[in-house]
Amino acid sequence: MLKSLIDRREDLIAGLVTAGLGAFILVEAVGYRLGTMRSMGPGYFPMLLAVLMCLLGAGLILLSKPEPQNDDSLPPPIADRRGVFLVTAAFLAFALMIERVGLVPSVTVAVFLSALANRNTKLGVAVILAFGTAAVCWFIFSFALGLQIKAFG
Amino acid sequence: MGDLFSNLSLGFGVAASLGGLGYCLLGVTLGTLVGVLPGIGTMATLAMLLPITFHVEPNFALIMLAGIYYGAAYGGSTASILLNLPGTATSAVTGLDGYPMAQKGQAGVALFITAIASCVGSLFGVVLLSLFSAPLARVALQFGPQEYFSLMFLGLIAASLVGSGKSVRSLAAVTLGLALGLVGLDLNSGAARFTFGVTEFYDGLPLVAVAIGLFGLPEIIANAGRTVKSSVSSKDISFRSMLPSRDQWRKSGMPMLRGSSIGAFFGALPGTGGVVATFISYAAEKKLSRHPEEFGKGAIEGVAAPEAANNAAVQAAFIPTLSLGIPGDPVMAIMLGVMMVHGILPGPSVITDSPDLFWGLVVSFIIGNIFLLILNLPLIGLWVRILSIPYNLLFPVIVAFVCIGIYSVNYQVMDLFVLLGFGFLGWGMKALNFEVAPLLLGFVLGPMMEENFRRALVVANGEVSTFITRPISGVIMVITFMIIGWFIYQGTRQTMAGRSQKV
Repeated sequence: MLKSLIDRREDLIAGLVTAGLGAFILVEAVGYRLGTMRSMGPGYFPMLLAVLMCLLGAGLILLSKPEPQNDDSLPPPIADRRGVFLVTAAFLAFALMIERVGLVPSVTVAVFLSALANRNTKLGVAVILAFGTAAVCWFIFSFALGLQIKAFG
Repeated sequence: MGDLFSNLSLGFGVAASLGGLGYCLLGVTLGTLVGVLPGIGTMATLAMLLPITFHVEPNFALIMLAGIYYGAAYGGSTASILLNLPGTATSAVTGLDGYPMAQKGQAGVALFITAIASCVGSLFGVVLLSLFSAPLARVALQFGPQEYFSLMFLGLIAASLVGSGKSVRSLAAVTLGLALGLVGLDLNSGAARFTFGVTEFYDGLPLVAVAIGLFGLPEIIANAGRTVKSSVSSKDISFRSMLPSRDQWRKSGMPMLRGSSIGAFFGALPGTGGVVATFISYAAEKKLSRHPEEFGKGAIEGVAAPEAANNAAVQAAFIPTLSLGIPGDPVMAIMLGVMMVHGILPGPSVITDSPDLFWGLVVSFIIGNIFLLILNLPLIGLWVRILSIPYNLLFPVIVAFVCIGIYSVNYQVMDLFVLLGFGFLGWGMKALNFEVAPLLLGFVLGPMMEENFRRALVVANGEVSTFITRPISGVIMVITFMIIGWFIYQGTRQTMAGRSQKV
C-alpha cells in the first residue's frame, strides 16, 4: 500500500496541491457576495473556478499512475542551488535598491550577483561586466530613452 | 479584391516608411539573434524590449515585436541543426533530421532548406491572414457575450487537451490561471478580490511580470550554470555548400506545402500553436514517405515540413489575435498587452478602426520575411559565429535588462516581486510536471471570460442554456464537447488497455 503511494507521489502531490489551491480560492470566494445566476456578484465566477479546481485535484489523485521506473534517459533540467540562489538574489537586490539608490548601482549589483551564478565566471570578469553593463544601461535608458528612473540615488 | 489592394497599399505606406522598415529590420534581427542563441527565449527578449516599445508609435512597436516573434522562429533552427541544441521549443523537431544532416557534412543544405521552408510557411500564413482576418472580424462584430464566452472556452479546452498528453494537469493550470486573472477590483461591483490588502494589485496582476516570471525566469535560472563551447566554425559553411541538389529540391517541395497547411491550421486555432504543428507535420511526412526508415538519420523532408509548419503557425496565430482579440499563445498575449498600453482595445473593431495598424503589420510581415531570407542565407556565417559567445557573460546582462524592462512598465517595485513569485510558481509547476502555457492563457482570458459569462446570463435571464441555443455559440459548444468527449473516450480506453495488460 505504502509502496504504491510512493510510486504515485508525483501525481498525488500535484493533485493535493491543485485541490488545496482550489479550497483556498473557494474559502476566499464565498467571502465575497455570490449573487444569483441572473445577476452574479463578485464571488460567483471564482467559486465556480474553485469547485472545478477541487474536482480536477481529486481527478489527479484518483487517476494517479505509478511513475515509469527506469526513466533516467532525460534527467530534469533543474539548476544547481548556487544558480537559483544567486539569480534570485540578483533580482531581489534590484527590487530593493532601484527606488533607493537609482539605476546605476542597482544594475551593477544585479549583474555582479548573477554573473557569479556561473562557476566559470572569474571574480574580476564579473566586476568588469557589472560596471560595463551599468554604463551601457545608463546610456540607453537614462540618456537615450529618458526613462523616469534616477541614475543615482 | 480591389479592397484588398487598397488595403495592402495602405499597409505598404506604413510598413515601407523609414520607421516601419527600421523597426521591422531591428525586430527580425533581434529575433534571429535570440532564436539562434539557446537559452534566451522570445519572452525574455520581449521583456527586455518593452521599455523601448512604450516610446514608439504603436504601429512601429507592434511591427518590431512581431518581427522578434517570427524572426526567432527562423533563427531557432540554426542552433538546432548545428549543435542539436534547439534555440526555441518549436525548432526541436527540426534538429531530429537537421543535426544528422550536419554530421554528414550537409549542414549548409539543411540551413538553406530551413530558410526557404520558413519563408514559404510564413508567406502562406500571411496570405491566409490577409484573406480571412477582415471577414472573420466582420462576423465577430455581431458576436454577443455568449459567442465570446464559447470561443474562449473552446480555445482553453483545445489548449489544454490537444498535444500535451497531460490533460487533467493542463486543465488545472488553465483554471488556476483564470482565477489569477480575477485578482483586482471587480469591474461590476467594485469589490477587491484576492488582493490581500496590496493596493498595487487593485489593477490586476501585471501581465508582463507574470509572463516573464513564468517563462523567462526558470529559463534564465536553469541555464545560469551552463557553459557550452560551440564546435562549429563558420568556415565550414560556404554559400556554395548550401545549395541543395535538384533531387533535394524535388524532395522538399511537397513537404513544405503540407507543412504550411498543417501549421496554418494549428496556428489559427487559439490555444494550440507552433509546437503541436511541428510534431504533427513531422509525423505526417514520416507516414507519407516511401522510405520512413531514413527519418531521424537526415531526411530532408524532416527538416522542410516542420520548419514550414512552425512559421506558418506563427503567422496564422495573428488571425484570432487581431480579428477576435483572443490571443492564441503567450507572445500574442504580450502583443495585446502592448496594444492596450497604447490605448487600442483589442477585438474585432481593430481592423476597421485602425486599418493602418492591421495592414501595416501584414505588409511588414512580407518585408520582414524578405529581410530574414537575406539575414539567414548570405549572412549565416555571422550567426554561427555568434553561437560561440560565452553564455556566462551574456545572461547577467539579460538579468539587468529584464529587471529594467519589468520595472519601467509601471514604475512599481511590486512588479519585480510578482516577477520573482511567478518565477518560483513556474519552477514549481515544472517540478510537478505541469505546463505553464495554459496557465498564462487562462490568466489573460480570465477577466474577459468572467465578463462575458456574467453579461450573457444577464441577457438570458439566468438561463445557462443560452450558450447552446444561440446558433453560433451552440456550434462552438458542440465542437468543444466533442473534443472533451473524444479525450475522455481515449483516456478510458488507455486505462482499460493498461489494466488488461497488468492482468
